[in-house]
Amino acid sequence: MKIPKITATLAAAALAVSLAACGQGGTSGAGGNGPLIAIVSKGFQHQFWQSVKKGAEDEASAKGARITFVGPATEQDVEQQVNMLTNELAKSPQALGFAALDSRAAAPLLQQAKAQNIPVIAFDSGVDSDIPATTVATDNKAAAADAAKHLADQIGGQGKVAMVVHDQTSLSGKDRRDGFLDWMKQNAPGITVLPPQYGGGDQLQSANITKSILQANPDLKGIYGSNEGSAIGVIKGVQEAGKTGLTIAGFDSGKAQIDAINSGVESGAITQDPVDIGRQLVDAALKAINHEQLPKRIDTAYYWYDKSNITDPKIQAALYQ
Amino acid sequence: MTENLLEVEGVNKSFPGVRALHEMRLDLRSGEVLALVGENGAGKSTLMKLLSGIHTADSGRFTLGGEPYQPSGPRHALTLGISIIHQEFNLVPHLTVAQNIFIGREPRRARVLLDERRLNADAAALLDRLSLRLDPRTVAGQLTVANQQMVEIAKALSYEPRVLIMDEPTAALNDAEVGTLHELIRRFVRPGTGVIYISHRMEEIKRIADRVTVIRDGEYIDTLDAGTASTSDIIALMVGRAIDTGARPEGVRADRDVVLGVEGLSTKALLTDVSFELRRGEILGFAGLMGAGRTEVARALVGADKIDKGTVTLHGKRVHIGNPADAARLGIGYLSEDRKRYGLLLEQDVKANIALSALRDRFTQAGFVRDGALRTDAAERAGSLHIKTPSVDQTTKLLSGGNQQKVVIAKWIAKACDILIFDEPTRGIDVGAKEEIYQLLNELAAQGKSIIMISSELPEILRMAHRVVVMSEGRVTHVLGAAEASQENIMHYATLRPDENPDDAAELGLGEQKAGHT
Amino acid sequence: MTTVKTPAGEQAGGLTGAVKSRLQQLLAFASLVVIYAFFSIVSPFFFSYGNFIAILFSTVVIGTLAIGTTFVIISAGIDLSIGTGMALCAVMSGVFIVNLHLPLALGVPLTILFGGFMGLVNGVNVAVLRIPPFIATLAMMLAAGGLALVLSHSTPIYFTDIAGYTDLSSGFLIPNLPNAVLILLVIAIIAGVLLTKSVLGRYTYSIGSNEEVTALSGIDVRRWKLGIYAFAGLFTGLAGVMISARLGSAQPATGMGYELQAIAAVVIGGTSLSGGKGSIIGTLIGALIISVLNNGLQIMSIPQEWQNVILGAVILVAVYTDRIRKKEA
Repeated sequence: MKIPKITATLAAAALAVSLAACGQGGTSGAGGNGPLIAIVSKGFQHQFWQSVKKGAEDEASAKGARITFVGPATEQDVEQQVNMLTNELAKSPQALGFAALDSRAAAPLLQQAKAQNIPVIAFDSGVDSDIPATTVATDNKAAAADAAKHLADQIGGQGKVAMVVHDQTSLSGKDRRDGFLDWMKQNAPGITVLPPQYGGGDQLQSANITKSILQANPDLKGIYGSNEGSAIGVIKGVQEAGKTGLTIAGFDSGKAQIDAINSGVESGAITQDPVDIGRQLVDAALKAINHEQLPKRIDTAYYWYDKSNITDPKIQAALYQ
Repeated sequence: MTENLLEVEGVNKSFPGVRALHEMRLDLRSGEVLALVGENGAGKSTLMKLLSGIHTADSGRFTLGGEPYQPSGPRHALTLGISIIHQEFNLVPHLTVAQNIFIGREPRRARVLLDERRLNADAAALLDRLSLRLDPRTVAGQLTVANQQMVEIAKALSYEPRVLIMDEPTAALNDAEVGTLHELIRRFVRPGTGVIYISHRMEEIKRIADRVTVIRDGEYIDTLDAGTASTSDIIALMVGRAIDTGARPEGVRADRDVVLGVEGLSTKALLTDVSFELRRGEILGFAGLMGAGRTEVARALVGADKIDKGTVTLHGKRVHIGNPADAARLGIGYLSEDRKRYGLLLEQDVKANIALSALRDRFTQAGFVRDGALRTDAAERAGSLHIKTPSVDQTTKLLSGGNQQKVVIAKWIAKACDILIFDEPTRGIDVGAKEEIYQLLNELAAQGKSIIMISSELPEILRMAHRVVVMSEGRVTHVLGAAEASQENIMHYATLRPDENPDDAAELGLGEQKAGHT
Repeated sequence: MTTVKTPAGEQAGGLTGAVKSRLQQLLAFASLVVIYAFFSIVSPFFFSYGNFIAILFSTVVIGTLAIGTTFVIISAGIDLSIGTGMALCAVMSGVFIVNLHLPLALGVPLTILFGGFMGLVNGVNVAVLRIPPFIATLAMMLAAGGLALVLSHSTPIYFTDIAGYTDLSSGFLIPNLPNAVLILLVIAIIAGVLLTKSVLGRYTYSIGSNEEVTALSGIDVRRWKLGIYAFAGLFTGLAGVMISARLGSAQPATGMGYELQAIAAVVIGGTSLSGGKGSIIGTLIGALIISVLNNGLQIMSIPQEWQNVILGAVILVAVYTDRIRKKEA
């Protein structure tokens, strides 16, 4: 009776050890003794975050640094992110890259990082705190305004427009909503924007929301989806409802969205440059480690892309499949 | 003399604590219908389970058509040529007739696809051959009980067995349906095949069977010619064991106060107008055949099943018992026949079981359990009831059947119930321990507790009961005093079937009610 | 005592039954120690008081949920609503304390009671309306998640201006021991005592062992089941307080998936999903094993993808060894 239990425990331990070997993949970039930059992201499985990770790895590899990259399973798991942040700080990295799901929840840990003299670089939606040395992010408001402008042009400045937004709690969600709304309010008097609907960035949920919007508003001219999941959901919803002639403006990229743009279902989308975010993040972290002066914000690139410029190498580099 | 199709010789089978079959024998001739009769628990089911390969005999010899017969399981038994129709149907209610008949051996196309058309065609051919007018595409759950029975038979016959065994096949059928069934049996029986027909219904046995084999207490008693043997002969053989101890009910008196009165108790499922009285310090026996409604009376009485009509009075006051918790509050405890499912927390220790019912009355303070007091009390009760266990911390499932039963009794005594309903108190308990349980019941009655004892064992009823309530088909058919009760008259009242037999109805004074009913 | 003719093996098994179950807990604890020692050896950062507290801290929310749901699982039920229920309770705490300006001393107990009320609703659905627990609590899981969004207008409610709220989690009543950890330990002890010593606890085991027998023994099973679900709900309420105190905000969209982690902790702790068996200490150890693995694997920089694989493997191993142990018993 004792034996199987202990054997089992040992087996689990052995599994952990053998996986520790793969663990080298966790600390990516050039091995050895380069500075360790711990990155706690807002997500993990999502293509977008994987691209940030890739950019960070490339930069780390080029500059002789090591990185670790973790993120919660969904962007609602605030507590999981806080736990991850705690665990990363326990490793005493030389710098911390952090994209907060909820800045205030992380505040005590950022204080701790400060006490441990670990410079913090905020990225993506940033951190609402004065501890980070800098924030590496897309100007989401400006980017959303750009999407609004393109959408308004497409529909000739007249008619009803709906919004499917990924969430209303994160800074990026709010900026992408408000940037779009503000631009419309100021520049497109002929356009009615319906109240924003929130789909949690989930494709299925966003698709369902889209279908009910279409049901309620047969005269709809255009829809805006505020991130990859929302945009793909909008495309799916429009296709399932059998609607044609709508103008869809999306955000981010991903294969489904790229295909939709190529086939003309979607008019175009704003893409951030996640690889660029990853690169700039590591670059800024290394500068912070070396006590170099950093600007308060580092804006990373964003582009409007559509059928006409999708093959442009500059765009291609920012898109992920 | 005709050759024997199936022979059983010197078969023994024991289960933990119980000897189910002892030197059992049986022979089925080619082309005959053999009736197998015996009291509940005589060993019929065990014998069936051996023949169908569900259990394996401890020793003994089976021969089928001159070859040794050793089934490894029900499926093997089927391929060797023995089909059994159990008392409980084995139909899947939402599958069709055809799907049920050929379940597990559905015709296929290209090995993976079901050939529904051939399935239905085969089933139709089979039903046609049996002259059964059933649509193979009907969903089994929608059929009447009788037709479900026919599907079972069709399924059994589709294996083209040499021996067909039927356990109480007519339990749920009316006379016309029984007729159809018998016709089917007659068509099946020919040289090379045979039927074993298990039944309690004497008149049916005389109609369909060639010979009758009587078994009792797991032993072979005799085989009679169905044509010449009288019903009373057969009953005498079934019950006719000499009562070994000669012990009789103790403390039989007529002047006891009525404690519990039941008047016109009816349930939707079975019970019809059940009335009886239970007196202080009395052991009231409930006798009847399987399915007569004795357990149902107990369950309805303690609120485990819903009462449709009827009143219950306790100490002269009318009471409503909605659930077992109400019953326990009123001091009525029910000790189920199925201790393992309804009586004991098998995985818990002895003291937890003993204290279960009385926990809040006696062993708690401000919502907390007083474990010390509980343990002491449980140990005392275990001692006074002679529960054989290393300690009250023993897991209950490790106790023998008799000791488990005593744990259940201890639970209700701890609760200070004054009415105890024992359902088959000695089922699965070996002979020595039975006597101890009897002593215990007598002691409890002597202390003034009123006991209802449901039992399928007539000697037990005669040995213990001050009065005997006999039931049949959900009705009380008679109440006998200890002095007048005998195996024969109990059996007589237990086999009355007023719903089917007008003479029986007349005997019970139900004549007018049954007019127009077939 | 006189003895019966039971086989020697059974006798021995029964005699040592109590010792054996203690041993099982000991072995679970031993597994925890082994895992802990393993990480201490392979990682220079793992073994420290700070990290030890960090692990305990990260166990608080799941641990609180797991302790409550241990009661439900021992009674052979299941409660899927504790994750989003916790989010709803966090939001209710925000409603009580931030929106209605109730003092902490009133708002916190009200939140916990609200959790109990949710549990009571589950109990009514399960015990009175006889909806299978899986379905009843699945419905509650969805309803609670939705209500949390409705009541919070889908925005987090911040406790920033509420003095002392975050101290419930990260303050120090005892030096070097965060209040959250203290609370977890205290409720574990309370729950442990109630489970083993109270009538509620005793009937929880009885109902889980065999509901029919318990009912036929004259116990009002319906009422007690209501009690069990409502009692477990109190822990959901407390978890809602603890998570919002830790984060300084009530996050309405969080919580999905917490129920499964809590159930995992209970199962690793040796509680049987078929009911009748289990302990609070086991659950606590189960929750700690999950936390230690999460923490240790991350500190070792094991890629995140693999962490869940390992966690899954540990659950299988734990349940499998438990099965083997039972077969031997």
